[in-house]
Amino acid sequence: MRKTIAIVFAVLVLLPVVVAAVTVTTPQGAQEVFARGDLLDALAVLRLAGVDVQFAAAAGSYNASAGEHQVQFTPGGSLAVVDGRLTRLPGPLRQLEGHIVCAPATAAVLLAPFGWTLNGSGASLELAHASAGEQIEVSVVRAPTGTTVVVRGTKQRPQVVATRGVVALQFVTPVTLAKPVVPEAELLGGDLRGTTLTLRLAPGAEVANTYPLDDPPRFVVRLGTAAPAAALAAPRAGPLVVLDPGHGGGDQGAKGPGSELEKDITLAVARATAAQLQAAGVNARLTRDGDDTVSLTDRTALANRMQATVFVSIHANASLARGAHGAETYYMSADASDAQAAQSAARENASASPDTVQLILWDLAHVANLNNSARVARSIQERLNALQGIKDRGIRQAPFVVLTGATMPAALVEVGFLSNANEAARLALPDTQQQIAAALAAAIVDYLHEPTPTPTTPAGTPTP
Amino acid sequence: MKALRPIAATLVVLGILAAVVVLSRHHRASAPAPAPEGATPAPTPVPASLVLFFPGDDTMLHREMREVPELPAGTPARIKLVVEELVAGSRRGFAPALPWPATVQTVFLDREGDAWVDLSPPPAGAVSGTGGELALAYATVNSVVANCPAVRRVQLLFGGQQVATLGHIDLSRPLAPNPELVAP
Repeated sequence: MRKTIAIVFAVLVLLPVVVAAVTVTTPQGAQEVFARGDLLDALAVLRLAGVDVQFAAAAGSYNASAGEHQVQFTPGGSLAVVDGRLTRLPGPLRQLEGHIVCAPATAAVLLAPFGWTLNGSGASLELAHASAGEQIEVSVVRAPTGTTVVVRGTKQRPQVVATRGVVALQFVTPVTLAKPVVPEAELLGGDLRGTTLTLRLAPGAEVANTYPLDDPPRFVVRLGTAAPAAALAAPRAGPLVVLDPGHGGGDQGAKGPGSELEKDITLAVARATAAQLQAAGVNARLTRDGDDTVSLTDRTALANRMQATVFVSIHANASLARGAHGAETYYMSADASDAQAAQSAARENASASPDTVQLILWDLAHVANLNNSARVARSIQERLNALQGIKDRGIRQAPFVVLTGATMPAALVEVGFLSNANEAARLALPDTQQQIAAALAAAIVDYLHEPTPTPTTPAGTPTP
Repeated sequence: MKALRPIAATLVVLGILAAVVVLSRHHRASAPAPAPEGATPAPTPVPASLVLFFPGDDTMLHREMREVPELPAGTPARIKLVVEELVAGSRRGFAPALPWPATVQTVFLDREGDAWVDLSPPPAGAVSGTGGELALAYATVNSVVANCPAVRRVQLLFGGQQVATLGHIDLSRPLAPNPELVAP
């Protein structure tokens, strides 16, 4: 009896010390991989899958690549960049006895972009080619508050690209449709091409918001109804200016030392500017005409739907440089990333199979809009410089969210600094607001009347 | 007594294993850790200077040279140093660029030269207005790119998350340096 107890004791004590590897079954056969407890050698598993893994000393991170796919991760971290997108890993990667180790679940996430799965547990794991990917199912839930499209069967959070009538969900890893998308309510149908699920929406339907849910994992696309385009873009005589009073509702924006609120000042200036424009015979509309919360994208979307001639977003500034003062006017920056975004938007806008000529025409329209945005911005800044006695302040470019989706010349004006006590007190005065409004209205009228060789977008070509 | 022999043998084996582990750890501690494949030996530290950018009263970013005891060779360490010096603030009286004790949590550098810099998130209300956001974003981007030759653009992350915007500027994509915001 004592002998049996002693043998069992020896086996139980020595086994965890001796077992330092896990068997990974691959299509080529079984392979031993370094392991400690629940952790296994991540680099070895990636290499078993034919993934090239290099340590980039300059970047301090590992670079795993195969074909078009690339994953970067850092020992000690729980984040990875998977094909250019930030991904949170299920657990951290650690350095242990000269190996980079992680839990199998983390290794599975690293392997997924390369088309591999890692299943099993304990001392035996199976590395296999991913089948066609996760099986997803699309269904529609109708409620009095609106229609919701639910994509079940995936934990992925796809990138959402919504354009008029179409919403594209771009998944990171392959997915398959368990069954065809059945048209219902505002969902007219859907197709899966590669890792992109394209959903077609009924006229007037648009994406209100999207979010993932757990238990069971699913991705939700909530639809809203756009205001009828015909009503918004009713035939009108002359140009339409959409003025956007910055912030509003729960978002008060910047706050001055005397409790002056940006959202109040921008609304007052926008209302006064609209009145001045109307008096000058120019149609003007506001993105909000009260203390309302309006998202940045909805502001631009409204101007787009109304087919506005010009879009001007009005703000009041703040800076930790307490001496900062005066107005500043910005328009959209046109750096490489914006050009890429523009091209990508063009592809989405164009059709499922982008046409080169259409893309070139779209690009021309984009450049024309950018040039005209600069003209609007310059016109505004010159008028405000004259009003405020500033001689040397020019216009600037920056990637403002509220200007990103505008399909017409657009600018963002900061009428002054609320962080500057003197300027904040002046900006809160109705007289100052009227003066600024007069300058803005005059600048917009200048722009509208200034003759320019504006290239027009050919019929059938999406505007940027 | 014979029955206890396996236990004794087990204890002896365990003792040997423990000794091997201890000796191996001692050896590893005293010897320099083997550098991963592709790593280069660390250069001898030499005093150097960083170029930093801070916002001024004219709402432009101003260059400020900063002497440092040594310039780390690796991009992640250099980015951490740049952020530490930005957090420390200007010595020439310019306004803060990062108005909270931001720390770099993670750095990635991809093949395209985009550095993914994960900062501890700013407390609510710390960054206000276009001026505050532009200062935060471009003081960081301009400073990182100016001091790290391998970096072309910077993708800012906060608390491990990609943030679409802090209110005005689009932070969902990597930002290239903006020379228009730099004082001549």
